[in-house]
Amino acid sequence: MTDLSSQLLLYIGTAAGLFGIGLYGFIVGPQTLRRILALNIIGAGIFMLMVVLAYRGLAEEAALTLTDPVLHALILTGLVVAVSATAFALALLTRLNQAKSAQCKPDQLRHGQEPEQ
Amino acid sequence: MRLLLFDAILCLLLLTLALASILSRQLAHAVILYIAFGLMMALAWARLAAPDLALAEAAIGAGLTGALCFSALAHQQPQLKPDVLNWPKRLWPAVFVLLMLGGVLAALLQLPPSASQLIAVTQAGIGNSGVSHPVTAVLLNFRSWDTLLELVVLLLALLGARQVAPEVKPATSWPLSLGWSRLLAPMVILLAGYLLWAGASQPGGAFQAGALLAAGAVVLRLNQQLSWLSWSNFWIRLLIVSGVLVFVLMALLAILLTPGNTDVVWLRWPPHLAAGIILLVELFATLAIALTLTLLVAGEPASTGAEHGCGEGA
Amino acid sequence: MMVVLLVLPLLGTLFMLLWPKIAPLLALLTASVCSLAALQLLFLVSEQGNQQVLLAGWPSGLAISLEANSLSSLLILLTALLQLLVGLYAFATHRRDKLGAGFWPLSCMLQLGLTALWLSRDLFNLYVCLELLGIVAVALVSLSGDKAIKPALNYLLLSLFGSLCYLLGVAILYGAYGVLDITVLAARWQADLPSSIALLLMTLGLMLKAALWPLHGWLPAAHAAAPAPVSALLSALVVKGPLFILCLLWLQLAGATQVAAVAPWFAGCGLAALLLGGVSALRTPFAKNMVAYSTVAQLGYAMLALGLLLRFNQPLFAAALWLFVLAHALAKAACFLAIGEITATLGGKRINTLKGASQTMPLAMFAFAVAGGSLIGLPPSGGFLAKWALLQGLWLQGGQLFWLLAIVLATLLSAAYVFRAVVLAFDRADPVAPDFAPRILPQWLALLPALAVWAMALYSEPLLQLLKQEGL
Repeated sequence: MTDLSSQLLLYIGTAAGLFGIGLYGFIVGPQTLRRILALNIIGAGIFMLMVVLAYRGLAEEAALTLTDPVLHALILTGLVVAVSATAFALALLTRLNQAKSAQCKPDQLRHGQEPEQ
Repeated sequence: MRLLLFDAILCLLLLTLALASILSRQLAHAVILYIAFGLMMALAWARLAAPDLALAEAAIGAGLTGALCFSALAHQQPQLKPDVLNWPKRLWPAVFVLLMLGGVLAALLQLPPSASQLIAVTQAGIGNSGVSHPVTAVLLNFRSWDTLLELVVLLLALLGARQVAPEVKPATSWPLSLGWSRLLAPMVILLAGYLLWAGASQPGGAFQAGALLAAGAVVLRLNQQLSWLSWSNFWIRLLIVSGVLVFVLMALLAILLTPGNTDVVWLRWPPHLAAGIILLVELFATLAIALTLTLLVAGEPASTGAEHGCGEGA
Repeated sequence: MMVVLLVLPLLGTLFMLLWPKIAPLLALLTASVCSLAALQLLFLVSEQGNQQVLLAGWPSGLAISLEANSLSSLLILLTALLQLLVGLYAFATHRRDKLGAGFWPLSCMLQLGLTALWLSRDLFNLYVCLELLGIVAVALVSLSGDKAIKPALNYLLLSLFGSLCYLLGVAILYGAYGVLDITVLAARWQADLPSSIALLLMTLGLMLKAALWPLHGWLPAAHAAAPAPVSALLSALVVKGPLFILCLLWLQLAGATQVAAVAPWFAGCGLAALLLGGVSALRTPFAKNMVAYSTVAQLGYAMLALGLLLRFNQPLFAAALWLFVLAHALAKAACFLAIGEITATLGGKRINTLKGASQTMPLAMFAFAVAGGSLIGLPPSGGFLAKWALLQGLWLQGGQLFWLLAIVLATLLSAAYVFRAVVLAFDRADPVAPDFAPRILPQWLALLPALAVWAMALYSEPLLQLLKQEGL
């Protein structure tokens, strides 16, 4: 059925498993922070899959003994994009939580967050 | 065989940590488990012959994302009751996930065992790229447009986060951590410089160096040093956008420098200047990344709250 | 020319961040110069044929390839013009609406992301563009302050999930074929299991991001919560980005068996979006939500046209698809600006606020009605052109009575929700009093795209020719 070596199979299976676990966490939730973590786990699974795919060049006894640099570069780019998105999502979440607690204590309505002018 | 056993244990650990992070009752536990997961992931990637990615993953997956999650956790309201989901709410997603997983696995198992032919093309191109490390060559020469857009995304995340940023209350620092942070700072700068320089020929590069630099700056910042480090400072703003700005200016310059402008090719570095251009771009990208990440993690100091709107007001 | 179109918004954004005081000026300047450059690109493409560039001068496969065909240049032109228009509107109203200064650099980044997306022919580069677009859109929505944070966060999470699904598809395709360039990939394409699964994953992610039924749940809340100029940009342009990639994938990559399997599903989803989106628009009590649900419904037309195009391979459907996209972008921009202006002046969010608006704010109401006419598909508007192309295509196929009837039903639904608002506006017995004197300039700005969509009919022949041969 497949021509991949057992080591590659192991890692590919793990990557797919991480995708599944993250997907489950993203759907079930229930807290937003956990859904953000789940997204990161999905991302980690996908990046891991890409690392494994890049490793194929090394695993077989082929003439080329090099991992795929294009995939590695893509992963670096993807990691930065993912962490940027996570940072923004967490900032939104923090603001949401603050707004909620401000509703509970109306005296402490946030001030100084809107631009002054 | 022993290595395969190591691989198996590592994979099992990764899956267990991820599952535990998703299923754990408390959010704080989930975050801690996620950080452990990130570290294990870095180990797995190092095992898969990707040391520079492992560095980046340790800095990001474990370090940066963890730090961000913890600071978000501090603002989270305490959970009143641990949430218990009834079984239909768990069952249907699980069925859906299993279906997706089955499809993905079936597709993955049929992938060919040989790697892409692009490796050979990349190898052929490295001679003219100005650097000898293939990943850096791809990042800053072959596919530099991706990298440029990626820097824009990072800048954008800072803009978005600033726009919704709540106020940060500075905690008073204790003398020991202050002393340590002062000792740590020069070492971090040195190490970051080395990583940047090494990126041309070995694992390392702008992002890893930037992340390291940011870690140092965050430590100092949490100890009330570097109070000038804020968005309202024009020079800081200039440095933050310089990552993208220098990149674009270099690309424009490269167009001007190309002899016989018959056809304009965006982002083509002239081969004899490529090494210098790439180093310059990387240097500013590192600084910009470090400052962006610092501001993302540490936030704006509350003391500048009055002039908070400086960047966006008026 | 492409370089200018990419560099200008980028540099514009950076300078805006450095000197926030002159940001509005820079934004308007960038958008106007970009409009001219886009026009020139369109002429260039129509004279010399498609412009293809391999970035950084590396061989194909290694380099990222950009391609400007007439469709991309048309979309770039549309993007630049709408940016200019919305920028003017935002400038005219920014004091009253307390639009944060963050709007200017973000809208400029939006232009960069969209232009990069229309041009890119590289799977991974498209992923980066998608992420850029998604995060900019969320940042723009969150400009509204506290009430928008929750929809914005929800939008961001779903958008990230969509991108990750797309990325997984890209990873599988790269694993199977070892290339990212769409043209090269199309030459090597085999309709086997990995490519099918990858296509399905990417389709899932893109449908989520484009708010195509049944994955549209996030759209009404997010678009309704955003400030009026932002809603106009989001509805007119941002949702079209993923749709464009979806068409690229299915029209250029997918094999015949894959296409045949999925075409009825696309058409069915489109039909469901038309009907259910229309019903929701008819039922919602809030004015902006009505316009947002109408976006869901109208995207159904594009989806339906795509499904029919895949099934029958008739060039008229391609023309219908892109005419819908263009006409909807213009009409929806006009709708959101007009409704935003009316609700801001009359002070209310509900549709009841519109009561008597034909008396108090005749220009804005006229803009809404005219744009609504295009949404319904009244001749001779852009919406009519699109629908006519669709009907003509169905007629030529013969025996498609079911689809014809469904389209008539959808038209009646859209007429119902547009007239619901218009009839209320003509109820002059007891008009809602404005909070302050209505301003003329923003109303004219809302009217402009509405007039433009009717002007599309004047250029119907060249447009039809251009889009028919393009397909994509």
